[in-house]
Amino acid sequence: MNAPVPFLDARRAEALETFRVKGVPHRRIEEWKYSDVRSALGANDVAEIGTAQWRIEGATENVEIADLSGDTPQWVCDHLATIGPHNAMESASLAFAQGGIALRVSKSKAAGPLRLNWTSHGHARILIVLEEGASLKLVEKHAKSSGLRNIGTEISLANNAQLSHIAVGEKSDQGVRIETIAVSANRNARYNAHFANFGARLSRFDITVALEGEGSEAHINGVSALGGETHADVTTHVIHAVGHTQSTQLFKKAAAGKSRAVYQGRVTVKEGANGSDSRQTAKGILLGERAEIDLKPELIIFADDVKCAHGAAVGDLEAEQLFYLRARGLPETEARNLLIRAFLEDAVLEIADETIRAEVWHDVEAALEAMI
Amino acid sequence: MLEIKDLHVTVDGKEILKGLTLSIKAGEVHAVMGPNGSGKSTLSYALAGRAGCDVTKGSIFYRGEDLTALAPEERAAKGIFLAMQYPVEIPGVTTLTFLKAALNAQRRARGESELDAMSVLKLVREKAKTLNVPEEMLRRALNVGFSGGEKKRLETLQMALFEPAFAILDETDSGLDIDALKLVAEGVNALRSPDRAMLVITHYQRLLNYIVPDRVHVLAGGRIVAEGGKELAHELEAKGYAQIVKDAA
Repeated sequence: MNAPVPFLDARRAEALETFRVKGVPHRRIEEWKYSDVRSALGANDVAEIGTAQWRIEGATENVEIADLSGDTPQWVCDHLATIGPHNAMESASLAFAQGGIALRVSKSKAAGPLRLNWTSHGHARILIVLEEGASLKLVEKHAKSSGLRNIGTEISLANNAQLSHIAVGEKSDQGVRIETIAVSANRNARYNAHFANFGARLSRFDITVALEGEGSEAHINGVSALGGETHADVTTHVIHAVGHTQSTQLFKKAAAGKSRAVYQGRVTVKEGANGSDSRQTAKGILLGERAEIDLKPELIIFADDVKCAHGAAVGDLEAEQLFYLRARGLPETEARNLLIRAFLEDAVLEIADETIRAEVWHDVEAALEAMI
Repeated sequence: MLEIKDLHVTVDGKEILKGLTLSIKAGEVHAVMGPNGSGKSTLSYALAGRAGCDVTKGSIFYRGEDLTALAPEERAAKGIFLAMQYPVEIPGVTTLTFLKAALNAQRRARGESELDAMSVLKLVREKAKTLNVPEEMLRRALNVGFSGGEKKRLETLQMALFEPAFAILDETDSGLDIDALKLVAEGVNALRSPDRAMLVITHYQRLLNYIVPDRVHVLAGGRIVAEGGKELAHELEAKGYAQIVKDAA
């Protein structure tokens, strides 16, 4: 993004202004009530942290890859910073990042699985453009780091495009990790996403999906297994902008030690978006007296003819189930483990790709082992 | 095999068993009958070691060893099996996975070698056949969506699989129609042997027509108030609990 593209500079100047006005989010702002970025960052500066390093691996056929620290191709200029909303952290990523990555899959081409690994702290941008009928499988992995990693991601899905987006956040005791994702889905486009967040000093996947074309769908799932003093927030906002759009969400969270898991899920059905179908479920189990799980589903409906359902529940492991398993010979630890895995598994089963699903499940098991 | 002496058990601060004494020898089948609220389920839970059933006085000796300090899984590994009145549904854990995990956990605790998946499957299939448990049921989540009959058949299958030395059957007849009851009773009877003892806990005499006990004990108010042979069950059915309890007093 060093290329002298005047209108891009204008967008960045605007982003800087937005960040200056809004400032670093803190707990007195409703959307950030459970995720106080200001206190997690302390006196650390947000502006001067440089650009986050990334590495790309896996199948690169059919994908055009642009490094945003170099020359900016026209298609990147056309799309960059066009998909909102522009909140404080997203604005900071645009204002301060000196690089990032842009991916494009052209019409009707299928690509991936592509792996994008974040290896350091800093700001960066991701731009994903899927042209009509194109598809991409992307596995994004956040390695642990110290300091702030702040990523602003934009995803443009043309008619009939399909993105399978799996994002994994490694446990990172020192790191503050925020990724703000904005998706625009056109007619019959599909956004399938899974967010496996194993916690950081503070971490948040903040996803906004605008279903802007009829027949478009968003299926967003996720899992968290937390221990120690980690924090993992997944906040979603699905906007049914037009009718005959569908969204499902399933989130499962287990929190031990002094950890904190957060799910905030807002679904907005706009006026006239009749025939919208939305379901969201979030469940948590507390495995420690000092752990905390905050689940906040929210429905805002301006249309008449819609199907919307949401449910949220937090509890302990069921004593009845535990006794049953132990009475059949399973030692307590093994019985607890079996129940926790069973609880978390159905969210991971939503990942369609078998290899990726096995990888995520492996991460879940490793997290559980470290927790219990 | 089992010696219960002056057993007092408290649940949620309330004394439920108030000096229960009972002794069962290897090879015997005993029945404990009693009205609702007499402490039948508490007895079964106390034997299996459920948390929240606090033994405040008395003792339970099993093969000469004090059971009260042992965890449920330790008791299971030593051959104690409780077939539950309401088998618990566990979503996300397939029945076969559970059976393998439980069987191997018991074997491990006894210092025996674990069985591989194929050997477990073979063993389970063998037992499942006689109990009319279809393979499809084994692939479903444990007890989830099972009918009353299916749940009890699965409990019986587990009993056949684990081959416990001492089995407690808690209200095994509840929720069963007559065909299912016969099938389960046949499964239980097939396990009767000179070195295995059973305790059948029931409200009704009906089950005892199919699983014929050597001894019958009447439990009321947390104590055994009457004892006798299998004919006592018939007497109970004819006279009702109130009369027997009154006669015993």
